[in-house]
Amino acid sequence: MTDPVIAEEILAPSGPARDGIDVSALVWRLVLVIGLLLIWEFSAGNLFNEFWSSRPSLIGERLFALFKSGEIWRHVSTTVSEALLGLFLGAIVGTPIGIALAHYRRAAKIVDPFVMGLYGLPRVALAPMFILWFGISLFAKVMMSFSMVVFVFILNVTEGIRTIDPDMIDLMRTMRAPRSYILRKVTIPSIVPWLIASFRIGIGLSLVGAVVGELIGANRGLGWYVVRAGGQLDTTGVFAGLFLLMLLAMIANQIIFMIEQRALHWRHETR
Amino acid sequence: MTVATEAPRILLDNVSVSYETPRGRLPVVDRVSLAVDKAEFVVLVGPSGSGKSTILRAIAGLNAVESGSITVDGKTVDGPPEHIGFMFQKDTLLPWQTVRENIEVGLALAGVSPSQWKQRIADLLALLRLSEFRDAYPAQLSGGMRHRVSLGRMLAYQPAVMLMDEPFGALDFQTKAVMGRELLRIWEAERRSILFVTHDIEEAVALADRVLVFSPRPARIVAEHQIDLPRPRNLRALRGSPDFSAYTRAIWEALGDTD
Repeated sequence: MTDPVIAEEILAPSGPARDGIDVSALVWRLVLVIGLLLIWEFSAGNLFNEFWSSRPSLIGERLFALFKSGEIWRHVSTTVSEALLGLFLGAIVGTPIGIALAHYRRAAKIVDPFVMGLYGLPRVALAPMFILWFGISLFAKVMMSFSMVVFVFILNVTEGIRTIDPDMIDLMRTMRAPRSYILRKVTIPSIVPWLIASFRIGIGLSLVGAVVGELIGANRGLGWYVVRAGGQLDTTGVFAGLFLLMLLAMIANQIIFMIEQRALHWRHETR
Repeated sequence: MTVATEAPRILLDNVSVSYETPRGRLPVVDRVSLAVDKAEFVVLVGPSGSGKSTILRAIAGLNAVESGSITVDGKTVDGPPEHIGFMFQKDTLLPWQTVRENIEVGLALAGVSPSQWKQRIADLLALLRLSEFRDAYPAQLSGGMRHRVSLGRMLAYQPAVMLMDEPFGALDFQTKAVMGRELLRIWEAERRSILFVTHDIEEAVALADRVLVFSPRPARIVAEHQIDLPRPRNLRALRGSPDFSAYTRAIWEALGDTD
């Protein structure tokens, strides 16, 4: 036990916690936001006509009114359910397709140009078709959102499986591990980081899909609210809608971040 | 060759392997015959990329042979045989599992009843001096420690044959020496067949009962040296000894002949 080399290796202490809250970054963030809002507030009406830009105090009042009347929930819940349904549908459909494409290389090679063609197609251009097919229903927006997100899952999962270390699989095979064991211990854990990355990218895209769907044809939702306000030259309403959309994206990102911390803790606990 | 009192554990008879490449067939192993006894430590040395790894992979049933035959315990290899432990140059640990969970892979695949796992893990961790790191993740460990976990996973599987493909090749000089010592300590306590690939001649002489020297690709056996150094071996004392130097020199010369 007095082996010097072993003693030297004795251990790799775990480093300081990285997940601690960085207070000074929070403070700076707050200062930045307040500063920009103040500039906006006091330049509107002085440097330019506030008709074009509204001002933070008016937007705040509008948001308060929306909350008070409860109207806000109708729009937020509509947009959120469209986006979430699209996101999960994209995950449920995209993941198995991704696994299949990684597994059947020959088939993947054959369909690759078509997949990339669809992926490259600006999905926004599909919106009129979805409205035509599904009317201004919820489903039209879910499909819009789905069409934005599904490729993210297909491409990430495929790539995730292709980057699994073949030696890891071979090692399992030398111990005569059944396929199901390899799937459970190696394949699925290997794609978890790629799935989380897909959700991270997909959340923003699913909101884009939902909002684009609402822009084209809807009677509720944050996208619809923004368009209607724009049509009425109500800049305050436009900014209130944009603010809510931004808030949703930030909350969603934070949720994904928390899931990532939990699911990938083995990555973060480095020395 | 040693006189086998029992049937050899591993027997290769005239084995050739080649790979299909876009530019045609590439022979990697050329009519290799060898036998490894039940408690024998055999080391394969030769230039990197010469096909020694392919031999190990073929014995483990990961690669098909083109001609000739391989038997392990009298059974012809056709897919991974029973009771084979394999170690790669990389530790190939599951990064999302702790030290304990990685070692459990070996126990689970050996069919050890889960009621015994706790005790077995504790014994293995003590043997490998890893007890404090039971719940650490591979990313928290040094390279040498990860290799010890990898060795632990193999031992947990209780292999009768250990196939080790440059297992310590990626480690620094000192750690490599320590791992060699640990391996000998474990093996001398409980002997089994080891087939160990390296291109480090000193490592080969230090560990082996017998060293087989291979040519550059396609791999052929060009020399064979019985290493009659006493066991248990004290590697530190051994490295300076005249016998040790004589063996390393002889192997250097055998390798030199293959240029």
